[in-house]
Amino acid sequence: MEVRKFSIPEIIFGRGSLQYAGLCARRLGAEKVLLVSDRGLEEAGWVDRVVEILDHEKLHWIYYGDIISNPRDFQIDKGVGFYHRHKADVIIGLGGGSPMDAAKGIALVASNGGRIQDYEGANRIHQPLPPMIFIPSTAGSGSDISQFAIITDVERRVKMSIISRTLVPNISIIDPLLLQTKSRKLIVAAAIDALCHAIESYVSTIASPFTEIQSLKAMQLIMKNLKRATETRDLNSLEQLSAASTAAGMAFSNAGLGVEHAIAHSLGGIFDTLHGLVHPVLLPPVMRFNLPACAQKMAQVGEILLGKKRRGAQATALGGIEKLEEFCDTMGVQTRLRDIVNEHAKLPDMCRMAVNDACLLTNPRQATWEDLLQICEEAW
Amino acid sequence: MKPKPTVEDLIGIEYAKLGFFREVQEKIAELNATNLELSRKQRHIQAILDSITDIMAVLSPRLRISSVNRAFHDVYQEAHPEGKTCHEIFRHADKPCSDCPALKAFETNQVFRETVIYPVDGKNRHFEITASPLKNERGQPCHILLLKRDVTLEKEYQAKYHQAERMATVGVLAAGVAHEINNPLTAILGFAEGLKRRIPRLPEDTNRELLEDFSEYVAIILKECGRCQEIVQGLLTFSREGSSEFSRVSLNKLVGDTIKLLKNHLKHHVRDLIRFDLDSGLPCVRGDESQLKQVILNLLFNAFDATQEKGFITLRTFVNQGDRVCLSVEDTGCGIPAHHLNKLFEPFFTTKPVGKGVGIGLSTCYNIVRKHHGEIFVCSHEGVGSTFHVILPREKHP
Repeated sequence: MEVRKFSIPEIIFGRGSLQYAGLCARRLGAEKVLLVSDRGLEEAGWVDRVVEILDHEKLHWIYYGDIISNPRDFQIDKGVGFYHRHKADVIIGLGGGSPMDAAKGIALVASNGGRIQDYEGANRIHQPLPPMIFIPSTAGSGSDISQFAIITDVERRVKMSIISRTLVPNISIIDPLLLQTKSRKLIVAAAIDALCHAIESYVSTIASPFTEIQSLKAMQLIMKNLKRATETRDLNSLEQLSAASTAAGMAFSNAGLGVEHAIAHSLGGIFDTLHGLVHPVLLPPVMRFNLPACAQKMAQVGEILLGKKRRGAQATALGGIEKLEEFCDTMGVQTRLRDIVNEHAKLPDMCRMAVNDACLLTNPRQATWEDLLQICEEAW
Repeated sequence: MKPKPTVEDLIGIEYAKLGFFREVQEKIAELNATNLELSRKQRHIQAILDSITDIMAVLSPRLRISSVNRAFHDVYQEAHPEGKTCHEIFRHADKPCSDCPALKAFETNQVFRETVIYPVDGKNRHFEITASPLKNERGQPCHILLLKRDVTLEKEYQAKYHQAERMATVGVLAAGVAHEINNPLTAILGFAEGLKRRIPRLPEDTNRELLEDFSEYVAIILKECGRCQEIVQGLLTFSREGSSEFSRVSLNKLVGDTIKLLKNHLKHHVRDLIRFDLDSGLPCVRGDESQLKQVILNLLFNAFDATQEKGFITLRTFVNQGDRVCLSVEDTGCGIPAHHLNKLFEPFFTTKPVGKGVGIGLSTCYNIVRKHHGEIFVCSHEGVGSTFHVILPREKHP
């Protein structure tokens, strides 16, 4: 095996771990915290709860909540101005992928200057970032673990991937209690995002034993707990989903992703599609596309999805894919691309853009934009 | 176009989460370097300030000294003036002086200059003070830079120069007057003598009383003409320009000759009042013997006047500072009032009653001594006595 790397933030995991947010900030040298979140978290009361914790630690704070899904470049600029104007130091990101990615963008531009576009691509950051503490409110995005930040360039309608080990936060505080206020739909979307992270990182060309074990564990936990979590909102199940999402995050941050995420980013850029809705639609056809390149691994995935082996790797793998489609159906999510995108004509352009996505680099099977279009047609 | 990320980029073995360690190290190194540079600059500035020969002090708005330069310590004993007020240090006063230039500079935000005289360590010093406001970034004065230049010596030189100038002017005037008067005076004298010779030839029957009157008047005319001639001669001596021949002169011998010259004119007991303290090893000077004799004579006559035959007069010669030869005439007479001291060598200044002197004796001395590249000055205490010093450069070895 070639040389690989595995890096993750400090992780504080467990029910009520949120209470350590203030202490962690103080340990990182905070005097005035920038808290980044969004409307949803404000309404659920979690922003107030974090503020309360910071107040208890006698820390000054400022709040930036002007974030929507698929965070935009101008929102980053605004946040950076806000950060500088108030002379903030430590940045706390609270929420799903969007507030956390936005927090990464703000931290990056606040310390390195310029525009967020300057850092698109891999390893372009040269100055240290302000200390970051992330508190994920969904079990899915993995942004609290990963070295990726995805920011939308409004003018070019591109979801830019910014990749750097420096984007890995200092501390990730994962408190399953936060999942209790999430809608069923959001829990499902996030869990399938995490499942997608697990599967794509597992078959990645740079997967290592350290990522593979996380990928497999994440798949197992999601298949075992998602149904129960959505039906009963049982805290144990939610906790397992949190662990699964974290494990998937560790895997994909170090092993990378594949075609599915490349297309998903491109869809988000052009149609502003919600990231969570894309995976049930795209994951099965992508798995079918990749199957010839990684039949053995796909069979192991299939075994977990099915809960058993079939005769032959190919059959187990295909059985798993079918099972996944069936599973998504029963979860009541949209499974056809036409349900979430209304302009079929834009698909070729979208695919031409997607072949440039960094996620494609680690896909087990070489893919041209025509291949991607074929996948989309299959999903339509 | 940015290079597209590669798989190696995703693995990112060469890239770690960036920390602040290196940045802090660099910052510390940078600060150290800046610090060194700053202290070097500070030493440089301090060296510049210390090499300024004027006394320098920086004052706060409440007139407290915040720093001084080295020149301050050369003049003032106070080892740590910082924090004390300027009037306390400079004038030994507990409140600001009424004409404080620093306060004026603060008020007007402009450079303020002033000349003052006040004693330092018991001696009067003449200072030229410049108070310039040190402005803050808003252009308001936050401190005052006080520069004090000791101009005592300059002022002394200036006074001497003015005196020399005055002497020269008066000399020219005196010479002109003397020449102009000399001719009519000669005529008056000649005709008066003619008259005197002719009186005996007057007829026998001339009124005897009238004759006596004529004789008396003519005698008075002749006497007064003689006096006029003396004055004119004095004026001519005073204004005589450097036609004199310098030769090797021993001051001791000169003193002896002068006394011999006087012997016949002095009463016996007066001669005994003169004492001598002559340095036998005294080097010679170069000078005009008769002119220097004139100086000694004038000083002696003044001393006789001051002692009124009741005190002693000491003639002293000695070597001063190796290359200067001194002659002093000391008397235990009435002394000179302080307010006369600075006018003493001015021409036509006299304290003698009218008819006893026109006041050119000392100014003549002054001119002669100056022509000899020497100095003449007086130390006097009223009621105790006076000493006139004549200092001449010793003869240079050929």
